[in-house]
Amino acid sequence: MRLSISHDTTYQYDEQVRSSIQYLRITPQQSERQQVINWELNLPRPVRAQRDPYGNILHVLTVDVPHDNIVIGAHGQVDIDENCEFEHESQSALPFLRVTRLTEPSQALREFASIQCKTRRDRTAMIDLMQALNAHIRYEKGVTSTETSAADAFAAGRGVCQDHTHAFLACARSLGVPSRYVSGYLYTDDSDHLASHAWAEAWLDDAWYSFDITNNLTLPERHLKLAVGLDYLDACPVRGMRRGGGGEQMHAHVDVSSMFMVQAQ
Amino acid sequence: MTHTFYDEMYLANGECRSHYREFTRWLADTPSDLLAQRRREADLLFHRAGITFTLYGDDQGTERLIPFDIIPRSIPASEWRIVERGCIQRVQALNLFLTDIYHDQRILKAGIIPPEQVLANEGYQLAMQGLDLHRNIYSHISGVDLVRDGDGSYYVLEDNLRTPSGVSYMLEDRKMMMRLFPELFAAQRVAPINHYPDMLLDTLKSSSPMENPTVVVLTPGRFNSAYFEHAFLAREMGVELVQGADLFVRDDKVYMRTTAGAKPVDVIYRRLDDAFLDPLAFNPDSMLGVPGLLASYRSGNVVLANAVGTGVADDKSIYPYVDEMIRFYLAEEPILKNVPTWQCRKPKDLSHVLANLPDLVVKETQGSGGYGMLVGPASTKAQIEEFRARLIARPEAYIAQPTLSLSTCPTFVENGIAPRHIDLRPFVLSGRETRLVPGGLTRVALREGSLVVNSSQGGGTKDTWIVGD
Repeated sequence: MRLSISHDTTYQYDEQVRSSIQYLRITPQQSERQQVINWELNLPRPVRAQRDPYGNILHVLTVDVPHDNIVIGAHGQVDIDENCEFEHESQSALPFLRVTRLTEPSQALREFASIQCKTRRDRTAMIDLMQALNAHIRYEKGVTSTETSAADAFAAGRGVCQDHTHAFLACARSLGVPSRYVSGYLYTDDSDHLASHAWAEAWLDDAWYSFDITNNLTLPERHLKLAVGLDYLDACPVRGMRRGGGGEQMHAHVDVSSMFMVQAQ
Repeated sequence: MTHTFYDEMYLANGECRSHYREFTRWLADTPSDLLAQRRREADLLFHRAGITFTLYGDDQGTERLIPFDIIPRSIPASEWRIVERGCIQRVQALNLFLTDIYHDQRILKAGIIPPEQVLANEGYQLAMQGLDLHRNIYSHISGVDLVRDGDGSYYVLEDNLRTPSGVSYMLEDRKMMMRLFPELFAAQRVAPINHYPDMLLDTLKSSSPMENPTVVVLTPGRFNSAYFEHAFLAREMGVELVQGADLFVRDDKVYMRTTAGAKPVDVIYRRLDDAFLDPLAFNPDSMLGVPGLLASYRSGNVVLANAVGTGVADDKSIYPYVDEMIRFYLAEEPILKNVPTWQCRKPKDLSHVLANLPDLVVKETQGSGGYGMLVGPASTKAQIEEFRARLIARPEAYIAQPTLSLSTCPTFVENGIAPRHIDLRPFVLSGRETRLVPGGLTRVALREGSLVVNSSQGGGTKDTWIVGD
């Protein structure tokens, strides 16, 4: 399936910003599962691409002339292999057993994981875990934020894709299964879900398998991967800081469409 | 290990050790009221240094005075040469270990350390994987904590490869002794240490491939307990002392804000933990770091000393493997001994530890500063039981060691002079070569019988002398 992405984010500031810096992870990588046909960033100034600690493509944008807005654009087309179930990796997956603040398992999460999986550590166990978490944490926007931990979202029983993913990571790691956070885009005709999306990958049989907890999906056929990490903070598309500027309005417009669908219209 | 104490000054028969004779003669000849007066003078001078420091801050003054004892800890030169070689060997092996685990991971492939112990360790930083450092040095400044058991043999208690502190006390203690008792230094040759700041600056400069790099000291700020030391070292080296807000990143390069505009920075002697270095890469709440620093570092545009990710090598769960590292990387036998260690994550070790808690010292693998530890023989039943519960809940977070008897050194206490337990932290510098100034920081546990020398736990310091045999 060929996905066409058009993602524009505008940050509008109440006052002049003296300087700002952003870590941008908004460029997909070529992989077994996705082939990048073309991809282009529109940034206020040219920036060299580099790799971040997780191998993601990172752009560090520094703007140090006074400005009252920043527009970040990402546009391109990527072919997704709908039948690709897993991805290989040469680096050890063991670092993805680590606990972070956002994925620290509470006693409740540990017990939940152990009840779902017992002694099983295979793909079906992770699927059961995914489905159980999907049922336990009801999808609801506006209840949690990017700072909400897995434990808190689990206790509240409500949240969005990143809460689902964090809860899954906390459980899987507590069982000794290396797992990581994935940020990217999802093509969907259900307008309730944002096209920017998060899901998980777990290391099973020497490969990374996808688990989209929010949608109960194990085949990421409509998922375009941008970045991976231990949690949201490592993989999120934009992390930035600024001096001055006062209040901020962020306006994002994401359009993910399937080329096939577009042509059919 | 026995529980008779090795005294640094006296033999078991009460006779003075030869390298202390000159000093004890002086001590006997000096009137006690003069000594008392000099000790008060020392307190006053240290206090003044403290006041100078708090001028920068406000009246919340988080800095405390660390008690100074005027009786030096003295080590004969022949003995020191062994300790020195042992420290150099150890730090070289640890730097080779860090290079290895962030590149080929030969030691893991060889099955010497279980990969999970290293790769899933909190101190292991993915950001360092595959990154090449100038001279392959990760720990430019290392503090090796040494103690002596009953028979006088030296043991390494732990390695400090993150941001080891205390060297300013080593230097200030010597200055104080020379000021108060110049006659002591005329009577016998004590190896000088005052070139440490020059050696440190040379080490920092040699960590960069540039010819004459600009070096700064990055401090978390005046509320940090070691702020005095950060300011002290920057002043002694003649380099800028900066906080995170004084630095900024533009196009992957680090600059410092000065009255004359932005100035490029090449080497950062950072006294700030990994987690606080860059709020965009690590702890997002950190107000102490520099946004963009990690990307600049990974691009090779700035040197951090010590490197990111050294914490995995001084983790107490990795400590038991240092002997093996020395054999693996250097094909040498360790010169300094490691304390036998039970790893509570191993069920067999755990059951031994649980059965012998009153005799053991139990430490958190990630802890430092003497917090979160149990000294079995010095603990109440209730404290031991509380720790037992913690061990059972999270065995992988603890290691245990036999209670070392720790050597003693005569020390001024309320009622005269009495033996108190001491340790030694030499500071090892790694650059073009691996070297150290003779001696280190001697810490003394001022409470009678106490084995915990950390300043946060009521420890004091002594001047450390390396003297001719």
